[in-house]
Amino acid sequence: MSSFNALPKGVTEADFTKAIKEYRALMGEDRVRTDSASLQSYSKIMCPVSEELHKPSAAMYPKTVKEIQAIVGIANKYKTPLWTISTGKNFGYGSAAPATRGQIVLDLKTMDKIIHVDEELGYCLVEPGVTYYDIQKYIKKHKMNLMISVPSPSAIVGPVGNSLDRGAGYTPYGDHFLFSCGMEVVLANGDVVRTGMGGVPNSTSWQATKWGSGPYVDGIFTQSNYGIVTKMGFWLMKTPPPGGYLPFLMKFPKVEMLPDIIKTIMPLRLSQLIPNACVVVNSLLEAACLCNYDENGKGMSRDTFYKGKGVLPPHVIQQIIEKCNIGAWSFYAAIYGTPEQVALAWKYVSGSFKAKFGNQVEIITEKEAKDDTNFEFRRQMMMGGSSLQEFTYYNWRGGGGSVWFAPVAAARPSESYKQVKIATDVLNKHGFDYLAEYIIGWREMHHIIDLLYDRTQPEETARAYKCYDELLKVFAKNGYGIYRTNPAFMEKAADTFGPEMRKIHHNLKKALDPNNILAPGKSGISLG
Amino acid sequence: MMNTSRRAFFKTFLSAGAALVVSGSGNTTKPAEAAVHEQIKGVCLFVPTLGKASDFVELMNTSAPGNWTVHPLEGTLTDRYFIAKSLYEEAKGRANTFVGAVDPGSFAVVQAAIFDSGGTFHYITYEERNRITFSAQL
Repeated sequence: MSSFNALPKGVTEADFTKAIKEYRALMGEDRVRTDSASLQSYSKIMCPVSEELHKPSAAMYPKTVKEIQAIVGIANKYKTPLWTISTGKNFGYGSAAPATRGQIVLDLKTMDKIIHVDEELGYCLVEPGVTYYDIQKYIKKHKMNLMISVPSPSAIVGPVGNSLDRGAGYTPYGDHFLFSCGMEVVLANGDVVRTGMGGVPNSTSWQATKWGSGPYVDGIFTQSNYGIVTKMGFWLMKTPPPGGYLPFLMKFPKVEMLPDIIKTIMPLRLSQLIPNACVVVNSLLEAACLCNYDENGKGMSRDTFYKGKGVLPPHVIQQIIEKCNIGAWSFYAAIYGTPEQVALAWKYVSGSFKAKFGNQVEIITEKEAKDDTNFEFRRQMMMGGSSLQEFTYYNWRGGGGSVWFAPVAAARPSESYKQVKIATDVLNKHGFDYLAEYIIGWREMHHIIDLLYDRTQPEETARAYKCYDELLKVFAKNGYGIYRTNPAFMEKAADTFGPEMRKIHHNLKKALDPNNILAPGKSGISLG
Repeated sequence: MMNTSRRAFFKTFLSAGAALVVSGSGNTTKPAEAAVHEQIKGVCLFVPTLGKASDFVELMNTSAPGNWTVHPLEGTLTDRYFIAKSLYEEAKGRANTFVGAVDPGSFAVVQAAIFDSGGTFHYITYEERNRITFSAQL
């Protein structure tokens, strides 16, 4: 029986002990932890498998690039795999747990410097432990007229981790990796690479232009295990002037209206009259985000409406829509600019929907929304604010299980509804309801489906696994890949993109990390 | 007045919290002991949907006597994250027991707050699908 929490595959206890001794000689005992209590936060896993499969062996907290260079040296010597995290939340996609049992978590939360915020050109350069909230505080403290695009758990997660996993936000810069600019990466051999213009000594444009010269390599460090990103740049938006921000909600009464909703949105999106990554939310997710309290301050959840077995029947969903005063679809978007630009764009936007839907669309702006909880958190998110309100939906079904299945669709009317039907069929077959939103990007839609289940019930957890597995297979069969997944499904998800892509990933891994020490199994990439 | 099942729930949860003051760690709980109760300097978080502050105070002082302060977790989940983080930080060095009875949405942010403050948990128990009790190490 090992004296450690877990051991990496292929590493003996004796070698692991020696490695830990060397790591401790480098950073001290406090920053190299192997006790179970210290590893708790990395064992939390929300995907429907046992924690045992993803149990880490240790956690380390480097503070400098030099320390990370020394760490990879030791890791190569003893073949101890390093699972790098930044702030380690990764809600919906597996939390901080490593892809395989026994990896050492390299927790970069201790590297939390905001290195530079450039007000003139609107960008920042930060370390991995910096959160969106830290940046917001910095901007406020220095009275800068800037804002950063945030994902839903903005207050407690950071731009480096989110963008490296190609996360999405809700502002015009909502495709977060697209609006990143320049990285510093420690490679497995200890080299430190600065991408783009960062390679030129004394460059002043590292965060001003993405490309540099020669092949663009930043992309290979996202959703990958080819290096440890220690700094990353992000473009920031100018905050609109007073009267220059108009968030709005449009409610639609029927599920079948989705294709027409998308058909009306996309010309406005392509012309940038609606410039942000906007969302179309289904009724149950919208209701679930409200379910802290009802209007009388009483707790509200799925049980409030239905105590029967199986999925929610259509008539109950209709009752929820009516009781919560929500749409079968709720469309949240915003217009940005000068007050004059906003007023003019609003004429086109509201006019387009009125022309298409007449009195079948209910249009709500801040004036009508008043203190509506969901409108308020969407309003904040579309302006780069911090809100965790979305996670209220953990109360909907209860039991603490939540895993996001996230296929991507081309933003075409027909495809939007096709995906809804496929997802609903598979989810219902396994006894789960359909809760989802479409985040509408430039020409695609991220279909974020929340598979909520009760982790305290082994049968339900096993059913959730089978459901996710079938969703993956059925969507792939229909030509749809997913944009991101949790550690339990990384291998299977990688398979859906074909053997040639897997071969490229494998060859890159062999070239850049021949000892397979960096996060083996991430996105299905491993030499083991 | 609280119903019987809720009383039983709080009794279990508080006894478990008190037991952990003795053991200092571990995932299993033991019956509380009178001698231990006197040592408790406890902080308890709760969400208002699970009971009133007066209920918590009454039951804590009955089931696990000590110096308890109770804090409702209210407002948005963002507020709750920062409230929990601040209370946990304040409790370090001042209290020896940090427990809570919360819903899953609140628990997600409370857990993040405690982990972000370098904390760990003695136990996390789903009493029901929508009711979680926990005790965090101080």
